[in-house]
Amino acid sequence: MSVAQEPAAGPAAIQRRGRFRPGDAILYVVTCAAALTGVVLLGLITHEVLTQAWPAMQKFGLGFLTTQAWGDKGNTLFGAKSFIFGTVVTSFGALLLATPISLAIALFLSELAPRWIRSVVAPLVELLAAIPSVVLGLWGILVLGPFITGTLGPAIHGTLGWVPIFSTKPTVGSNMFAAILILTIMIIPIVSSICRELFVSVPAELKDGALALGATRWEVVRGVVFPYARAGIAAALILGLGRALGEAIAVTQVIGNRVAINKSLFDPGDTLASRIAGQYQGADTALQVASLVYLAVILLVFSLIANLAAQLIVRRVAGRHQV
Amino acid sequence: MKAFVTRRKRPLAVLSVLTVAIATAVAISVGGAQARSSADELKGAGATFPAPLIAAWQQKYEAAKGVKVSYNPIGSGGGISAISNKTVDFGASDAPMTPDQFKSCGGCVELPWALSATAVMYNLPGLPNNLHITGPIIAGIYLGQIKKWNDPKIKAVNKGVNLPSLDVTPVYRSDSSGTSFNFTTYLNTVSRQWKSQIGRGTTVNWPAGVGARGSSGVSGVVSRTQGAVGYADIAYSLKNHLKFFSVQNRAKKFARPGLAGIKAAAQADRKFNPQSNELSIVNPPGSPRFAKAYPICTYTYVILRMQSDKANLLKPFVTWALTSGQQYGPALIFQPIPKYVVIRGKATLKKVHS
Repeated sequence: MSVAQEPAAGPAAIQRRGRFRPGDAILYVVTCAAALTGVVLLGLITHEVLTQAWPAMQKFGLGFLTTQAWGDKGNTLFGAKSFIFGTVVTSFGALLLATPISLAIALFLSELAPRWIRSVVAPLVELLAAIPSVVLGLWGILVLGPFITGTLGPAIHGTLGWVPIFSTKPTVGSNMFAAILILTIMIIPIVSSICRELFVSVPAELKDGALALGATRWEVVRGVVFPYARAGIAAALILGLGRALGEAIAVTQVIGNRVAINKSLFDPGDTLASRIAGQYQGADTALQVASLVYLAVILLVFSLIANLAAQLIVRRVAGRHQV
Repeated sequence: MKAFVTRRKRPLAVLSVLTVAIATAVAISVGGAQARSSADELKGAGATFPAPLIAAWQQKYEAAKGVKVSYNPIGSGGGISAISNKTVDFGASDAPMTPDQFKSCGGCVELPWALSATAVMYNLPGLPNNLHITGPIIAGIYLGQIKKWNDPKIKAVNKGVNLPSLDVTPVYRSDSSGTSFNFTTYLNTVSRQWKSQIGRGTTVNWPAGVGARGSSGVSGVVSRTQGAVGYADIAYSLKNHLKFFSVQNRAKKFARPGLAGIKAAAQADRKFNPQSNELSIVNPPGSPRFAKAYPICTYTYVILRMQSDKANLLKPFVTWALTSGQQYGPALIFQPIPKYVVIRGKATLKKVHS
């Protein structure tokens, strides 16, 4: 556009007020349009999803959330209960496993590791995030599944079988436990890389001060690093949770796709995103399509809540810091 | 400073927003046009079931007529979506379209163009191929009621076979699948409980077992899981060296999913569904004519838009597939379709125009 024809804008050009400067205007308009696109897209998507889900929302109402069914009664009854259960269990399960590992990775790379190890390991951990989810899902089917049925599952069931969540022996590699492990692998790079950045940004004076007072490494971490980065850690965890909530392909490949609420993690289940990904194409009836989109509405609400929670936590903790 | 710029340049702002919007719209429509196939190529997508046969057709047809045909085996449900969204020139499905699907497709026709069987596969190391099984036992397994391989019911039809005390793990298709439709239609006919509780469809609420995506997913889980049972088209199970059952038909004979069994079953239904041209040949009667029939056979269908830019290429290709193309079937365990089905297909094809 006309940007190329503009004379080079030096500091002097900026000083001259009142002159017509298309460059600034174009920059403003383009960035503003980009920002607006985000808002408009969100609005359009929400509108479209609600419109498409409307027949199912009308028919099932909020009872949809507490009904465990999918295509029952001659393909007329649908419900989201088991998918909500599966989504919550797999996402929080993954978060539970990923949190200590991610924090440990971040601490090691920011505080403890020698410089050369940092420069090698940090990019590699972040590279984990670059693995396409469909590839991770394939790995889940081919490697993780047989490992769970052959080695890990029998071992856990043998020692911890009295705990309800491990009460059955895995007969097949597709189960909720496999989904949790896959999701854990997916969110570790996100959480750990954000936390590493946070830990690195803790002012050196604070850490040095604590060390000068005779604190050990662990006391510095517990007393200075963690409190300083608290808000950021919470936000990072919720970002990871959001990733886990919405992951469809890798989960649908390993979770076993059953409409069921099982106590044991070694049994198959299904999540909201996985069900949508698996069945949206070629659904038999208009009601089934609408019900699938209803699941999408629920997922959208979940993600919204997770994001709002993240913002709230950041604001609250940051506010407390300033006092 | 910011407010100053905004106030002065507002007309320009509106203009630029418009430009961006138009550019985006143009980009999207150009992208859409490119997604459609080029002039002398036919694009199809759908069921995995007929994929081996269509692959043979692609080669032979391009050699004979110089028209390139591409086919993407994404599953019956995907095929119906693709033709409904006009992203392909033809769709393929093993399940006849439902009235809802016809409605959303908007001016589509469907006709049977290939005929084969769904094999029920199993993974029992050390045991021979073609163990015997009955419809009620398959239903019992998929209802989660028959849990062990040495169940008395399985033993009763496999005398002299040393069945292990292994868990039975039924495996089903998690995506929308015509093979599932064929399989659940069969279970509907052999189990009253299945019919009243589960029913038939391309996706149903499976009460037991685990799901996997596509025929490849199902056979993958079966081959990696000892004691698993799954279902897929016979060509697929043969290609992947999976063992499959001889299934008892209504004449009380055990039949294998081979050409003879399919041919015998195909004598069953001569009444086409007026909208979808469905012919159901599942679990044919027990009369001597059907003594050799394999009970889980199905026609598989091609879906076309009545108004198609490619009608001049599509019609000759589908006609060829219905006639000359059938000779490539038997090598892949596709039984050539009977003459009355060819006639019906050609009549339906007349509705397609450019």
